[in-house]
Amino acid sequence: MTDSPKPGSQTASVYRLHLDYDLKAGWFAPFVDGLKQGQAVARCCSSCGRVSFPPLRTCSRCGSLDGDWQRLSGRAVLKARTQGMDGDFALVSFDGADALATVALQGLEGLEGDAPEDAAPEQGRVLVLTAAPDGLPRLILTPETRP
Amino acid sequence: MWDSEVVVTGAAQTPFNRRKDGSGPRDWAVSAFEAARDMAQIEASEIDALFIASESDFFSLQLNPSSVLATDLGLSGVAAVRCEAGGASGQAAVHQAALAVQSGLVQHAAVIGLDASASGLPPDKIKTLYGFSFDAWTDGLTGLTSTALYALSWQAFATQHGLGARHLNDVTRHNREQACSNPDAHLPRRDSADEIDASPLIASPYRRLHCSPLSDGAAALVLSHGSSTAPRATAPRLVGIGAATDHLHLGARAEPGHFAAKQAAMRRACTVAGITPADIGYAEVYDAYAGAQVQALAALGLSEAIEADLAAGVFTKGGRCPVNLSGGLMGQGAPAGAIGVAQTATCARMLEGRYHPALQLADLPAYALADTHGGVCTSAAVTLLKRGEAL
Repeated sequence: MTDSPKPGSQTASVYRLHLDYDLKAGWFAPFVDGLKQGQAVARCCSSCGRVSFPPLRTCSRCGSLDGDWQRLSGRAVLKARTQGMDGDFALVSFDGADALATVALQGLEGLEGDAPEDAAPEQGRVLVLTAAPDGLPRLILTPETRP
Repeated sequence: MWDSEVVVTGAAQTPFNRRKDGSGPRDWAVSAFEAARDMAQIEASEIDALFIASESDFFSLQLNPSSVLATDLGLSGVAAVRCEAGGASGQAAVHQAALAVQSGLVQHAAVIGLDASASGLPPDKIKTLYGFSFDAWTDGLTGLTSTALYALSWQAFATQHGLGARHLNDVTRHNREQACSNPDAHLPRRDSADEIDASPLIASPYRRLHCSPLSDGAAALVLSHGSSTAPRATAPRLVGIGAATDHLHLGARAEPGHFAAKQAAMRRACTVAGITPADIGYAEVYDAYAGAQVQALAALGLSEAIEADLAAGVFTKGGRCPVNLSGGLMGQGAPAGAIGVAQTATCARMLEGRYHPALQLADLPAYALADTHGGVCTSAAVTLLKRGEAL
């Protein structure tokens, strides 16, 4: 099957569309506002006490819609890591949260290899949530620095 | 079980590749549709409904594509709707068309899947857009990419099942090798394991050659009610559909490496069809990444011991359940909205003995499976087909 382009139809039309979204965070504005300041604000289910971070509107354990906002320490433990041309990312466990979270990593040295076992020594490493320089609500973690 | 038969009377696709011939998505849609309609031996005026699958308006800058394509296809006046479920959009459209036909309200439904995933925008822009396929507020704004999320999911699966880079390379080589016999394929290649290992690291352990390409293309189906006059006796029957979703946050899943939505979708499809995974004799499986294919085989129930079955060649052409002889997404290509439609078209052609000669199975299977998903298997859609009675 061919799509039979007409002779002389090779010309492309380059059209540039610049979009400035004004995104509204809605119900989880406390989470978004917290991230902008490098703070981890989680949702604690009023019914069963499950703490979700990133927050869930409906509790994944009991289905309740009711919850309270709760500030976490922002410290997290690295569980799995992937890095390459796309960047440096991880699955981490935030202190006080009941599930893992996917995050971006900054300031960590590179892994020696690309197999999961190469990242094994990284597991358990302590990281801390950091505000993004551009002011956007991003889940960026850096190595914990001790005073 | 279905109350009435849904027959796949037409199945076709364009080549999947990066178009450099000046053609656009609307050309590809017409080309695929006309080929499917020709196979079905019906007139455009006999089509009652049109189902369009396109993952994103961003790719072609065309909102409301269903009405545009209805006019282009000569179907103006029919009911037309666009279906979206991320990477599973094509299979979602197949499901909606099947339900419409099965209900008896529609005698002939056309399904068109299409996207300009390769040529419409630069690859880095597509990568950014795909990053918003997940939770835009968390993964999207953070900058997580599709490859990174799949890599984290694969790591969890590989650790649990004792798999590694060798298995990624085996899947990559198999799918691209099959693509060499598929004239519609985007990436027909014969890479050695060393060449795969030397390709750029995108998100460990995924290297560039472990990833499916961004492709342009379209695919089409005509689904007909069993009581209509069109169906050939040899035409396959669409006997089961199932769909499901999983938690959108990978980290919130009990097992980040397990495709739970796919497992649920498969169970639902098998219940509708009245069969089990063991009845499947051919499968087109969603392999956006090499590891995703292995994860899919396990979740679909096509393997109870994945490492042993891979080693035994269960999923190769001579095996119990050949998989992705088209080349899959990795070899044939991945125009997002067209993927699920093309997978189902491939299964239908395979069951009727109409597939590419070098890839056609000599012994026609009784059942085939088309498996598609969106996100990191956040939306899953499975379709089951049965060989025509007269074969």
